[in-house]
Amino acid sequence: MPREAEPSLSERTFTLQAISEGLRLDSRKLDQFRPLELSFGDEYGVADVKLGKTRVLAKVSAEVTVPFSDRPFDGIFQITSELGPMVAPSFEVNRPTETEILLARLLEKTIRRSGALDTESLCLIAGQKCWSVRVDLHILSADGNLIDSSCLAVVAALRHFRRPDTSIEGETLTIYTAAEREPVPLSWLHSPFCTTFDFFGEDGEIVLVDTTWLEEQLRVGSVTFSLNKHGEICQISKLGGKPVEATLIIQCAQMALAKSKEFTDLVDARLAEDAKRRDKGGLMAELSAENER
Amino acid sequence: MSSEPVFVLPGDHIDPSLIPSHPKKPVRLGPGLRHVPPSDLLPTLAGQLVTDRQKNAIRVETSNGRYIPRVGELVIGTINKSASEVYFVSLSDYTAPALLPQLSFESATKKTRPILAPGALVYARVTLANKHMDAELECVSASTGKADGLGPLVGGMLFTVSVGMARLLMMPKKAQQGKVVVLDELADAGLQFETATGRNGRLWVDSDSTKTIIVVGRAIQETDQKSLGADEQRKLVKKLIKELS
Amino acid sequence: MASPTAELSHLPKTDGSANFAYGGYTITAAVNGPVEAQRRDENPFEALVDVNVRPAAGVGGTGERQLEAILQPALRHLIPVRNFPRCVIQVTLQVMETPENAYVNPKVMQPRLNLGIIPALLHAAILGLLTAAVPMKTVASATCLVITDADGSSVKVDPTPAEIDQARSVHVLGFTAGRDLLLAESEGSFSADEWATVLQTAEKVCCRSQEAGGDAEMGGYGAESENVQQFMRSVLEAKAAEGLHWR
Repeated sequence: MPREAEPSLSERTFTLQAISEGLRLDSRKLDQFRPLELSFGDEYGVADVKLGKTRVLAKVSAEVTVPFSDRPFDGIFQITSELGPMVAPSFEVNRPTETEILLARLLEKTIRRSGALDTESLCLIAGQKCWSVRVDLHILSADGNLIDSSCLAVVAALRHFRRPDTSIEGETLTIYTAAEREPVPLSWLHSPFCTTFDFFGEDGEIVLVDTTWLEEQLRVGSVTFSLNKHGEICQISKLGGKPVEATLIIQCAQMALAKSKEFTDLVDARLAEDAKRRDKGGLMAELSAENER
Repeated sequence: MSSEPVFVLPGDHIDPSLIPSHPKKPVRLGPGLRHVPPSDLLPTLAGQLVTDRQKNAIRVETSNGRYIPRVGELVIGTINKSASEVYFVSLSDYTAPALLPQLSFESATKKTRPILAPGALVYARVTLANKHMDAELECVSASTGKADGLGPLVGGMLFTVSVGMARLLMMPKKAQQGKVVVLDELADAGLQFETATGRNGRLWVDSDSTKTIIVVGRAIQETDQKSLGADEQRKLVKKLIKELS
Repeated sequence: MASPTAELSHLPKTDGSANFAYGGYTITAAVNGPVEAQRRDENPFEALVDVNVRPAAGVGGTGERQLEAILQPALRHLIPVRNFPRCVIQVTLQVMETPENAYVNPKVMQPRLNLGIIPALLHAAILGLLTAAVPMKTVASATCLVITDADGSSVKVDPTPAEIDQARSVHVLGFTAGRDLLLAESEGSFSADEWATVLQTAEKVCCRSQEAGGDAEMGGYGAESENVQQFMRSVLEAKAAEGLHWR
């Protein structure tokens, strides 16, 4: 059975020693993120996030199906994430590990439950037809901080995605293909982003942001904030670990808010660049069938 | 000694003029070549075909891939656990551990053997490696009984490098043959450190100063990942030294 | 059709990785191995080649399992598995992009056998194995062909998804560098003579030697379809030169 790789004693002792001196192995500051790259694919709804050696790809797809019987006015929205053998030989297909389950739960709470995507707008004919939007998160390479990068990828992909346009006349529903009418964006309400803080030291007094895999193995506690740029908190989770001073948590919340604003600006900038790239000749405004509101 | 770079893919036909033919010595096949009886030589890896006419040897050179143990090579291993008379040592992640007898250390007897905790590092030599059995290591030279630098590595920090880079670092004249000048440059800049390299892609660095260890590790890893030439390495060292101060 | 493109060793934590794009399909392959096999998969005489195909949208279903069942024996034949008993060589193939069809709304969850993707999967897997320095006996390439009734019964190489939907039969054939047939899958209705034509055509396309242009027989279809084996050679050579620049 391929065992989970574990860091050696030298690596452990040295990394902790360095952190207690305020140094990190890649010479970053304790509160500095690795270089973050966000790019979109040629298809709508594909977002690729690179955070150091961590690389995740989110893909959004939509199809028309029957809504759940207990929620006839809502569409279906689901996020699936799976770590496969691509990440490491110790991950098996269809056998979720703790990391996977926690990641899935966090994304669920941050994006689905907070109502970032308006599911009522996905309803086509109440009780009969609705859009089912699914986000597939593919983790290509994991070197720590999967949570922050995954959330960013999913949010960026959902904002980038365009679903086929529809129209209803009386009882008939027409779904237009991409060749007939330009696809339309999803109804997006707010953009939540996650920031994870890891605690080190005797009393968990040293705080690190964006840890690599090695640093993650050595942390004594961690807290993840999910909030949008307006400071509205979607969730906070600190799952066990060393008890930490409350004032430290408040400080982390402030840092998370600043980070969330940064991420929002980054996603907006990349989306604008991508729109410009596609919109050669300024025809997009003319092709859109949406009314000016 | 070395021929023009000839790139081969697995299954390629090798030009007979590249196969060394010494009248007395048999041809030695290095890694990346397969002998198909009666007289065919086929590459099994994608890389450069290197002929050494003096040693009558031929091999395919690659710099990437997972380490496969070969007898006589020096490696850095991590202790997984200890059984009755033997330590289980991991040479690379996710592969079967190698066996290191507990008495295979300098001046170790049944009563005074060194106790190594799981996670400890050892510098060892491969004594047995074939596809049917787990690999075996030793920390003492079987003939002389001396350690010659082998044994536990205490403290310091472990960095991973590619197998190709590890080979360059272990060349006797690394600056000339392997064009790896980083370590010399760093030493010239006044940093004091010691290193040990394992063929399995691991580099151990120790120093009194934490910052020095970080700088040395980063220098080697960047040289490896970006395939830096000698001049670029010097520039990198200058940059890192500046950041240090 | 655009030329194939590939990016090698772009995933830092795997033994070997490759991103191969051709004909609208983009596949990322990640190879780990030889690593220790699990007790239940251990084979005392040879290595296990474990192939995983993950689709772009949705979780893998029956269609992906069938693709794995087609690729696994092909890859196993290329690797000298008896050199690594009790080990496993993991090949994970992640589909990143499939060719878009603007005239049809995609249905995500329908399991169907997509023969058109097999050449791209095979090429990505081979590039991944070579960057991971997993020993191989030889390299191979594959191509997809259809028989349509458009101008009488004609064979077309590298069809688009629309052409595949309308064709009478679809075929995928793979050949090793030594011109041996490695894999052959067909779907649809066709006669034995038609299959023989398909076989000949595929062999010409896959195993074409380095002569540039001028081959009159290739005029009809060969001009578009690139020689993938040549491409793989050149991209690997460039990568090797970069890593061994010190020589």
